[in-house]
Amino acid sequence: MRENFAHTGRLVRFMLRRERIVSTIWIVSIVLFSVALAPGMAGLFDADARQQFAEVYNNPVMVGMLGPIYGADNYTAGAMYGGMMLLWISLTAAIMNVFIVARHTRADEERWRAEVVRSLPVGRLANINAAMILALILNFILAVTLGLGVFAAQVESMDFISCMLYGMVTGAVGLVFAAITAVFCQLSSNTGSAMGLSFLSLGVCYMLRAAGDASMMNTSNDGVNKSNEFLSYISPLGLAQRSKVFVENDFVPLIFLIITAILISLLAFKLNSVRDLGQGFIPARPGRKTALPAMLSPFGFSFRLLSTMILVWVIVMFSLGASYGSVIGDVPGFVSESPEYLMLMGVSEEMAEHASDEVKAEMIVDGFGTFVTSMMTLIAMIPLLMAALKLRSEEKEGRAENILSRSVSKTKYLCCFTTIAFALSAIMQLATLLGLYYVTDAVTSANGVSNPFVLEKVFKASMAYLPALWIIIGFAVLLVGFFPKATGVIWGFYGFICFTTLVGGMGILPNWLEKISPMAHIPIIRVTDLAHLQSDEVSILSLAVMSGIALLLTTIGFIGYSRRDLLTH
Amino acid sequence: MFMLETQNLTKKFGKFTALDKVNLQLREGEVFGFIGPNGAGKTTTIRVLLGILQATEGKATVFGKDAWKDAVEIHKRVAYVPGDVNLWPNLTGGEVIDLFVSLRQKSNKEKRQKLIKSFELDPSKKCRTYSKGNRQKVALVAAFASDADLYILDEPTSGLDPLMEQIFQECVAEIKAAGKSIFLSSHILQEVERLCDRVGIIREGRVVETGTLNELRHLTSIFMNVITEKPIENLAGVKGVHEIEEKHGELSFRVDSDDIGNVVSHISKFGITKLESMPPTLEELFMRHYGA
Repeated sequence: MRENFAHTGRLVRFMLRRERIVSTIWIVSIVLFSVALAPGMAGLFDADARQQFAEVYNNPVMVGMLGPIYGADNYTAGAMYGGMMLLWISLTAAIMNVFIVARHTRADEERWRAEVVRSLPVGRLANINAAMILALILNFILAVTLGLGVFAAQVESMDFISCMLYGMVTGAVGLVFAAITAVFCQLSSNTGSAMGLSFLSLGVCYMLRAAGDASMMNTSNDGVNKSNEFLSYISPLGLAQRSKVFVENDFVPLIFLIITAILISLLAFKLNSVRDLGQGFIPARPGRKTALPAMLSPFGFSFRLLSTMILVWVIVMFSLGASYGSVIGDVPGFVSESPEYLMLMGVSEEMAEHASDEVKAEMIVDGFGTFVTSMMTLIAMIPLLMAALKLRSEEKEGRAENILSRSVSKTKYLCCFTTIAFALSAIMQLATLLGLYYVTDAVTSANGVSNPFVLEKVFKASMAYLPALWIIIGFAVLLVGFFPKATGVIWGFYGFICFTTLVGGMGILPNWLEKISPMAHIPIIRVTDLAHLQSDEVSILSLAVMSGIALLLTTIGFIGYSRRDLLTH
Repeated sequence: MFMLETQNLTKKFGKFTALDKVNLQLREGEVFGFIGPNGAGKTTTIRVLLGILQATEGKATVFGKDAWKDAVEIHKRVAYVPGDVNLWPNLTGGEVIDLFVSLRQKSNKEKRQKLIKSFELDPSKKCRTYSKGNRQKVALVAAFASDADLYILDEPTSGLDPLMEQIFQECVAEIKAAGKSIFLSSHILQEVERLCDRVGIIREGRVVETGTLNELRHLTSIFMNVITEKPIENLAGVKGVHEIEEKHGELSFRVDSDDIGNVVSHISKFGITKLESMPPTLEELFMRHYGA
């Protein structure tokens, strides 16, 4: 038995060495992001504002998105921070773990690197054992630095024990998903689908807890408990939130998370021990002996390379839109009295006073709709960038040479991927709005009320974001053309855009800095038929200028690409 | 006009000079062997000829056209097999072959089927499951199934077993018989010796020798085994004789190609009972340029 694990320690050290840059970046970014927001959130709201925020927040839509509200009676800065942050930080930690475990198990096997290691006197289970120990170490480091970092921010109501619990729960969620990924890496013989299944299960866990948390709100109306909160307990993300950090500091969920991680890891070990190296449990079917004619042109082929990614993202965007739409049906059931929230949505105090409950509900829906549209635009940027950078990754893998050594010019091949990226910008926005609009439609008509959204307006609002999407594509093409070794910079720019959009208007960042983001120049268009709410004036000129910038960046990228050598290894 | 020509072709990567004034010519219908050790610049030369890399100085032309500017036009008539075949893990071998063939011209179904069969390739398998040899076969089938005028093959048999190597050589012989030109980079010297009309040796970015095998042999020495009735006198004194060794009354030595006549007339005075002469193998030529 023991010899199955021989030399695990050496492998762990080797893996840590391979991880020294990537994981450091992950952990430092997560901790910095979390720590940076702690004093901000405390400073932005005083006790009254927090209390009002808690009331506004206490509705199925927000609870579905962010999780249940704990400590609402005395909503401290800590309670607010825990409620807003834990879900997203632990979700990010989960994503980090999917990458780590896939990289050191299935990816190594698929590339036959694991074979070389296995030929050495190391145990049969040493590799998976080392990968899990690696995940344990990295999550522990994350947990401790996160806890200490947040504690160092010295926010009142966030004491040492609660900060450490916050870090530990995050690390524990990470560990659970490390174990889940390890299982999928045994089941599937290919890294891509193992990671896809892991991310899918992460999405399912988010949805489970969204459904569970939102259903908790049902009890208040008629006194009958219709809650399905058990759904949240099944999901590691929901379970993590049940530790009620900074409020009650319950350690029991943490223990359950760790036990879950151990049990799932054991399953992965078992599966690993009964299979052959390089094999999976999901059988590989024989593929096509000849190609479909559709993939035999440069454009058709580049589309074929991206087709799975596109399909997955269309589904993701549609279902995210749909999940937001599905909670909107509950909105008319509750009306917030908070003028602050309405003001946040662009309703003046005077208007709010005179508005009927119905109008207020609609205002909330409208604010929510515009918010969703801008958030979804940020998410849509990910598949666009993946498409725009695909040719660079083909080049890195030495596969672009296969096409370019045949009668396809570099400009033409780059044009194929760029065209797809530009087309995707509209497709992703459409997928979101169809999900949002039609699911809202279905839910509201089931409740016997009318759909608050106006299709034409939702369409306009989401399409107004296109020039911003085009600019980021243009920037990516520019990098591919002129700075092929630095294409990773685009993800930094993307992070910057997300950050400025999220905290934009809060006065945290200087105005000029916010203006660098293309998102800051997009007019807000109202999505419901409310006369009270003014849409920003749509300046065709500014949208045209932005499109022009996007075109310019793209063109410069093309010139650079056609002039430079293909980088081979 | 040459099918392929480089004139003082130089390629630098930053400060590193990968190719230094390379001059090569490939005539129509000729098989040219391009030999050299790993890292000598074979693949870089080919990539410049394919317009994947741009020459720093000098000229690279294929069919008389500029390799960089007219790349697409040139590629319509070129079939290329890379030394390191990187394929898409989620596509099958059959799909990749069809793609490669179709990006040049209409596919020749019959030829494709025949080649897949003779190379014993399973086209329904995903490329991620292929071994190095099988990925090589995908590239070879795609190249030989297309009707090109010039075949550029970069170490095409690496990873192939001897049986498949045999099939490869038959394919080369077939296209050679059809009057096509072939630029074959290799470090398997027997292969080059068997297939090529002319040979160029590259070392550290410089072409150190080009010519027909006979011409190259001429530059070096041949090996002789001799038994004579009377002991040969003063053999070491004859111009062009080196490395004399005696074993059981049999003399073996090297003779510079230019001095063979003198040497033979000198030893014939002592009554020859056995005379063997062996031309140098390409390996020896190669070692002379690359070895110590």
